[in-house]
Amino acid sequence: MNRVLVVAAKEIRQLARSKNVLISAVLFIVIFGGMTGPAMLAGRDTAPEQVIDQLLFYLVLVLGIFAGYLFCGQVFLREKQEGVVETLLCSPLSLREIWLGKVAGIVVPATVLSYLASVIIVLVGSAMLGKAVAPSLPVIIHVIAVVPAFIGAGAGLMGFAQLLLGMRENQILNFAIIFGLIFLISFTRELLGPSFAVTWEVVAVVMALAVLIMLITSWLTRFLSRERIVTTLPD
Amino acid sequence: MTAVIEVASLSKKFFGRCVVEDISFSVEKGEVFGYLGPNGAGKTTTMRILLGLLAPTSGRAMVLSSDLAVDDRARGDVGVLMENNGLYERLSAEENLEYFARLYGIGDPGDRVAELLEFTGLHERSTEPVGNFSTGMKRKLGIARAILHEPEIVFFDEPSSGLDPEAQHMVRELILGLSKKEAMTVFLNSHNLDEVQRICSRVAILHRGKIQALDTVSRLTEDRGKSVYTVTLADPGTFPAALDILSTASGMSGLTLDGDRVSMYLDTLPPHEVISMLVKGGIGVNEAQREARSLEEIYLGVMRQAEGDSS
Repeated sequence: MNRVLVVAAKEIRQLARSKNVLISAVLFIVIFGGMTGPAMLAGRDTAPEQVIDQLLFYLVLVLGIFAGYLFCGQVFLREKQEGVVETLLCSPLSLREIWLGKVAGIVVPATVLSYLASVIIVLVGSAMLGKAVAPSLPVIIHVIAVVPAFIGAGAGLMGFAQLLLGMRENQILNFAIIFGLIFLISFTRELLGPSFAVTWEVVAVVMALAVLIMLITSWLTRFLSRERIVTTLPD
Repeated sequence: MTAVIEVASLSKKFFGRCVVEDISFSVEKGEVFGYLGPNGAGKTTTMRILLGLLAPTSGRAMVLSSDLAVDDRARGDVGVLMENNGLYERLSAEENLEYFARLYGIGDPGDRVAELLEFTGLHERSTEPVGNFSTGMKRKLGIARAILHEPEIVFFDEPSSGLDPEAQHMVRELILGLSKKEAMTVFLNSHNLDEVQRICSRVAILHRGKIQALDTVSRLTEDRGKSVYTVTLADPGTFPAALDILSTASGMSGLTLDGDRVSMYLDTLPPHEVISMLVKGGIGVNEAQREARSLEEIYLGVMRQAEGDSS
């Protein structure tokens, strides 16, 4: 088996056993996925189908990134805190293989949770409207392909930062990310406007943005060295 | 003999502070090499440079003729046990070993994993999460992980730190077994002097980033110190008289009393002269023994001398 996949499989297995993190992620997704829809469907002039599309467009994306962020803490930061990463750095794996394997191990479960959020949003919306609501095709493609790509881009960037920075800098980064995500959940729809429609162009732009972040992060990993990781390990 | 570790004029600075300063040594194939020094002496830094985790400021550190910082494949011939064991606590012992086996390119690791679990006596708890293990069990598993891929060299960083005496003994036996049965070269970072004396063939003593002594354990203990000569008296009541006789003798120093035993360093005085002086003075002797100085004494002497030189 490819060594990147070996690392990814191990991360998925470990995450599946991290009960606290899994419960937090699922609760967050169920609560936000299940509650934001009804709140937005009630008392709005926009067509309910469009509201569902909007939710699937941005809320699933943000929830997926949030799940990825939670998993990054386990996959990158915890390993650094416990010092196990030093042993991994002594293995024949290159830094890029380690980083890629870990990112892949985050993307899979975070994507599953983002799909769960999508299903919850559609089910709750349908239940509220009293009829089955089908998302538009661009939104379906967005959820299936763009969201995992964005989760990968986000996890890659966060993982890179967590490996690069010391523990104190990582704490500051964590606060910034949490506030950023809460801001995105709360205000994205207002920023987009009530008439915002998810079109193929929008989906393409978001996908391009995800690819751009991946490329930038991949380029940034050149600046990551074993020395940098080892010298930022806690004592 | 072939040198499998070669360090030449190696220095490492952090923010202008020299942590390792112009050190040179080599380790031959099959040797158990002890790297001794107090906390902050530069032991872990040297080991990290050898493992390719840190880049040297100047000098050269080669392992199996490769620079591990740039040669990913060469790292496959090296085993490492850091102080933290390098284990995943949520995974079982078996899963941990299988994971690392696959990283080191062992395609079907089942047999090797089972063999090592049996070897370390962990086979009965192989499916339990490692988080449930005691410190000693984790260390055993860490050793199994380090030698899983049958490396040519194994690096151990404080392998017996935090272990009870029984577990320390077990770790010592494991390391000796690796050297004798598996013909592995062992690089042992430690400040456990007793452990180093028992298992290492050669040692380097490091102080403030500089090597202060580098030799075989036997040569260090024989050449660097005078032998201690201990006499056990038949009657402890004859102590004052024995002390009177021995304190007048020349060619000896460091006369000390401990229970029913009198110890001294013999500079030029032959051992039989001591016995004969005591017997002539009417003092019965039960036992007399000549002992080389321990590595601990040598180490402390080197440290004191280094402190004196630097102040």
